[in-house]
Amino acid sequence: MKIVVCVKHVPDTAEADVVITPDKKGIKKEGLAFGINEWDEYAVEEAILMKEKYGGEVVAITIGGKESEDTLRRCLAKGADRAIRIEDPALEGSDAYALAKVLCAVIKGMEYDIIFTGAQAGDDGFGQVGQTLAELLGIPHAALVTKVEPQDGKAKVHRELEGGLEEVLEIQLPAVLAVQTGINEPRYVSIMGIRKAKKKELKVLSLSDIGLSPDEVGEKGSLLTLEELYIPPVEKMAEILTGAPDETATKLAGILDERGLIPK
Amino acid sequence: METIDGESFGEKYDLFVCLQCGKCTGSCPLSMRSQLSPRKHVREALLFDNEVVLDKEFLWDCTTCATCRLRCPRDLQPVEVIIGMRSILIEEAKVPATVQEALESTFKNGNPWGRAPSKRDEWAAELSLKSASEGAEYLYYVGCTPAYDPRVQNVAKSLVRVFKAAGVDFAILGNEEKCCGNEIRRMGEVGLFEMLMEDNVEIFENYGVERIVTSSPHCYNVFKNEYEGLKAEVFHYTQLLCEKLDNGLLKLTKELKKKVIYQDPCFLGKQNKIFEEPRKLISSIPGVELLEYDREKERSVCCEGGGGRMWAEATATGERTAETRVKEAVALGAEIIAVACPFCMLTFEDAVKMTGYEGKIEVKDISELLVEAIE
Amino acid sequence: MAEVFVLVEHRRGELRDITFEMLSGCRDLAKNLNASITAVLLGKNIDNFVEQLKSWADKILVVEDDKLENFNAEAYQRVLSHLIKERKPILTLIGHTSFGMDLAPALAAELGIPLATDCIGFELQDGRLVAIRQMYGGKVNARISFKTAPYMATIRSAAFKAEEPGLSAEVEKAPSPLTEEITTKRFLEYVEAAVGEVDITQAERIVAVGRGVGDYSDEKVRSIIEELANELGAVIACSRPIVDKGWLPKDRQVGTSGKTVKPKLYLALGISGAFQHVAGMSASETIVAVNKDPKAPIFTVADYGIVDDLFKVVPVLTEKVREAKGGS
Repeated sequence: MKIVVCVKHVPDTAEADVVITPDKKGIKKEGLAFGINEWDEYAVEEAILMKEKYGGEVVAITIGGKESEDTLRRCLAKGADRAIRIEDPALEGSDAYALAKVLCAVIKGMEYDIIFTGAQAGDDGFGQVGQTLAELLGIPHAALVTKVEPQDGKAKVHRELEGGLEEVLEIQLPAVLAVQTGINEPRYVSIMGIRKAKKKELKVLSLSDIGLSPDEVGEKGSLLTLEELYIPPVEKMAEILTGAPDETATKLAGILDERGLIPK
Repeated sequence: METIDGESFGEKYDLFVCLQCGKCTGSCPLSMRSQLSPRKHVREALLFDNEVVLDKEFLWDCTTCATCRLRCPRDLQPVEVIIGMRSILIEEAKVPATVQEALESTFKNGNPWGRAPSKRDEWAAELSLKSASEGAEYLYYVGCTPAYDPRVQNVAKSLVRVFKAAGVDFAILGNEEKCCGNEIRRMGEVGLFEMLMEDNVEIFENYGVERIVTSSPHCYNVFKNEYEGLKAEVFHYTQLLCEKLDNGLLKLTKELKKKVIYQDPCFLGKQNKIFEEPRKLISSIPGVELLEYDREKERSVCCEGGGGRMWAEATATGERTAETRVKEAVALGAEIIAVACPFCMLTFEDAVKMTGYEGKIEVKDISELLVEAIE
Repeated sequence: MAEVFVLVEHRRGELRDITFEMLSGCRDLAKNLNASITAVLLGKNIDNFVEQLKSWADKILVVEDDKLENFNAEAYQRVLSHLIKERKPILTLIGHTSFGMDLAPALAAELGIPLATDCIGFELQDGRLVAIRQMYGGKVNARISFKTAPYMATIRSAAFKAEEPGLSAEVEKAPSPLTEEITTKRFLEYVEAAVGEVDITQAERIVAVGRGVGDYSDEKVRSIIEELANELGAVIACSRPIVDKGWLPKDRQVGTSGKTVKPKLYLALGISGAFQHVAGMSASETIVAVNKDPKAPIFTVADYGIVDDLFKVVPVLTEKVREAKGGS
């Protein structure tokens, strides 16, 4: 089975303070820890599990600067066979549609049965690259995938719906499957493993290498323009109880008691 | 069996001279409560292949206290054999989920606690400390747990106050500080350990650091004994403060009428033979009566916080060693258990709660006792 | 007159809330765009939906087809692209739901229409549409402009309030453009998450744990949380990461992909408050959050907050709750 997996190197902002840059188009990256996008981590694992079960090849692809090779090396160490990174100054300002065009340009000449992506990225959260890519490649797709069982040129796929419900569908391969977190248990990859994987092929391609013109990507080739970022206004804020844990917990117990929330 | 480098365990760890006397297992603080048995593992490493030996969850029970090493009549290192076995598990991705998270966080965030690197210096926000770029006689290497754990942050804050009172000229690395790697190596992640070592040595060199003082015996141990290419001199804070006490620069004036018992951290005592300095600091506090455990110094009992045990769920059953120690301390009439290690602090705080002795006995770091004596 | 299309979302015989939120939420925008609102309803045996929707839109455009019985992104895409090409709505709104996420990106790409996903608001700037959406887990808002009209957007659940406008829609039935069976993608069945022994939706009090509790498989961690829950007579629920790790079953998950709960007390421990979680609990009567990060979004939905290590707070809280019970 030939598998492609698209990954993204993203900053972790779960705990860190986010500071917007003076041009209001981005956030300050200094001091932030970067790593593979959480959803993509599951996508890579799913790709490798497929390969381990059915044989074949896994190719990991990313769009990004040199630093995103960290993420590709992790994919290679986990079991991907080769990796491709697309970098070009003209990509600056690309929206999800333009990025899908880039991925399409790379992938369309390749052989593939399944293309895995994460269902969304932890930074911009658009959640649309995989599905857009499928449309551009002219193949079916499923988003928020929680289970994949390939069988005879098709796959039985579970999609996560709301309220703890899933739908099961049969999808013709090749297809793009945008993976939801929790689909598997991503494996550990040691630093030694990452070092060993340095021998594996990691190709860096520019726009001209993949046959796209600068006008097809970046702001020009995008359908959306990021006008500005801003810190959301706080509409409502909890009453913060202050003091040492003893005091805050005591205050809180008092409030709960007053509100009749402690069963007696 | 073979190590990750393809050497035989027998040769790498010189296991052929093992007498199978069993002193290692006899001295292991876990072997009574877990299937962990250093003697057996040494034998297995010699006789069997990797498949037979590995895949045993209890290999993560070892606290790397190194008592087995200390007691071995042939100077073997059973603890290193266990670490070597963990290394294989790491390379084969057979890692408990919690250990995996700690390792991944250390790679990504520079600390095993899953916390953002940009929050590492938050504990010092209002202390206006010198940063390493300004240069100072000592680099105070805070460590991950004192930097992030709310309870142990107080140890770092206390140390700062005592350093200042004793006129120590020191700076910190702030958010540039990264995990020292002592537990990382002991969890078997050799590559990550080497990476941290190289990064840290480079940072220390960049700032021209000549002397490092640590909060934790674990950081102290790895800098002192395992870092290659580190030129700086390394001190545990008890050593530095003891020197200041001797020089008359640290003045302990306030009385603290308490019975205090001291828990030797394995990485300070057993493994680095620093027994006297902590005791001297404690007993120099006016009013303090220093008690001793029956098993103290080289015979002291591990708290079960080392070797990655803060992140691994043990298979061991029965009473934890820290709980046993708390009960012993209470029986001896101690009012305070003094510790000199962040992991001892956390395991003992827990143990006091589990044994129901809250309010009866307190756990304090030596730095916290010193603060009470200077102010 | 220009039209705004709002795609009606329904599943297993019921209209979904997002439909009404979109129909209600886009009214001001439609007015500013000088457009009427058309609810686009695709399905099979959907007459009762038409009745329910009448007071919410200016027009209901109905396409009935056996092939539209269950949601199938391929089938929906074909019908919608046909309708959009034919009727040229200025704006098409689709829920940012599992259904909408599967459908909208491919549809927009096919039509070459700009699509902004997961929107929480809109503005008009010099006649051009600007969408407001969140990034970096809700820590940042972004203003995103559409280069060209027509526009397409997916709307976040609960971003808009559903307020019935009291309209009386004209109903138009359009023929289905689907001529053949969809073979690339076939719906097989729905499966429910396994039902456990506890139904969190019925609980009066909930103690919910998130990523911030650390390793929830750790017996000590678990017992600290369970003890508090016991004292409060609360059931334990959680946010997504805890389920992803396999530490609690799926039926304990609160949020868009889990359960929606409305207890009297919701105590969030170590939950940062991503919107996917908040959407499932914001209607709780009293919300309390304990989190180390003072900037965690959970504090903007909570009534009371404690910024501290939950393991320092919870044991004391358990004790105090116990005292309060004893004291009465």
